[in-house]
Amino acid sequence: MTADDIDGFRRGDADAVRQVYREYGRLVYAVARNMLASKELAEEATQQTFVKAWQAATSFDSTRALGPWLTTIARRTCIDLHRREVRRSAVNLDDVTAAHPSLVTAGPDMDQGYDAWAVRQAIDDLPDDERAVVRLQHVEGLSHVEIAAQLGVPIGTVKSRSFRAHRRLAAALGHLREPDREHDRERDHQPARTFDPPNPEPSPDERRTLG
Amino acid sequence: MTGEPMNDDDRIAYLAGEPTGSIDDMDARADLDELRALLADPGLWDEPAPTLEDAVVSAVARAAATPPVRTIAPAPPAAATTVRTSEAVAPVISIDRHRRWTRTVSLLGAAAAVIAVVATMVVVTGRQDDSESFSMTLEPTEEVPAAQGSATLTKTDSGWRIELDATGLPRRDEGRFYQAWLRNEDGTLVPIGTFNEGADVVLWAGVSPLDFSTLTVTEEAADDGDQASSGIRVLAGTISPTDE
Repeated sequence: MTADDIDGFRRGDADAVRQVYREYGRLVYAVARNMLASKELAEEATQQTFVKAWQAATSFDSTRALGPWLTTIARRTCIDLHRREVRRSAVNLDDVTAAHPSLVTAGPDMDQGYDAWAVRQAIDDLPDDERAVVRLQHVEGLSHVEIAAQLGVPIGTVKSRSFRAHRRLAAALGHLREPDREHDRERDHQPARTFDPPNPEPSPDERRTLG
Repeated sequence: MTGEPMNDDDRIAYLAGEPTGSIDDMDARADLDELRALLADPGLWDEPAPTLEDAVVSAVARAAATPPVRTIAPAPPAAATTVRTSEAVAPVISIDRHRRWTRTVSLLGAAAAVIAVVATMVVVTGRQDDSESFSMTLEPTEEVPAAQGSATLTKTDSGWRIELDATGLPRRDEGRFYQAWLRNEDGTLVPIGTFNEGADVVLWAGVSPLDFSTLTVTEEAADDGDQASSGIRVLAGTISPTDE
């Protein structure tokens, strides 16, 4: 990502926006998908994240990494969308059972965004053959024998790919669990300047007149 | 007490879900369990729709092209003066621009009031009794920045036929839907129909858009037992007479 790309993004230049999206769009989407657990909402959050990033781009310090800054915007956007969805699904308290999601489901965790971004980036950095093994192993829950059968490769190949992949993942993601991580986040991941929280919620009385 | 620190081989093996023997480092195990949970999340492997790139580029382009001013619309009634910011302002305003506008808001406030009065007079004086058709552009709000649309309102013997065509609105169903409204200067809302998708929607109104000149689209839920607007506005626009 060059300074020209970032300048172009600030201007809303379509090619530059496309370039930034191609660099970071999948990661922003991964954050949103992880935090919101909905493909539809994740796509909406991704769009809003890039619009908000453009809105705030004049204040972005181009000597910093763009990715963590986008992550911060994406996380806030996801939390706003989550609140909106909770508001939309509000039901009369008398009708709420003890198992109702609004009572038992916590909102998205701010940490989720950072971890999801890092894990998705680590996954994307894996070679294709290793990524396929990790996916089958963790997402599909297949054993090495089953993976070998599905991929049509010897079990020894699956084991070696799995070991190499997890060694890469452990190396790439080890920093997530270091004690100083919180401090690093404060230092590196905050946007150059914060902006007013979007979507202030209307009171019930206001909502009745806003159609 | 967290036990002996886990060595790299054990960490790799544990992350891969392979036997690692006795591991006493409970903190490391907990951390690796969290990473394994993330790796097992199908959503994290999910690819965004190929159309999302164009949608993002379009949304930013529209935001960049949107002037940072309030749309000229009839003033809300006194009871509704605490209008939700995200619905009332233009959908996208850069922060610097926003602050510049905020600094000059006192001047603009007076100017906007004059413009609103003049605009209202233009609409009123410009209305032609024999006009049978009006058109409007529908602008997005922060709820769905990628949305945009237009509407044509045509007078018929049955009432006003409103053809609305919107893009960028995600489909809503399973009890959720969009609802269109006409609003007059007093803030009175008249519902004109509900729909799931924004393409080629036909709505009908029994009130004149000359009097109810603002069209809004909100997102609603069927199971909330509330017939009133949710206030979750996704599109809004004000009529202007069409050239015949």
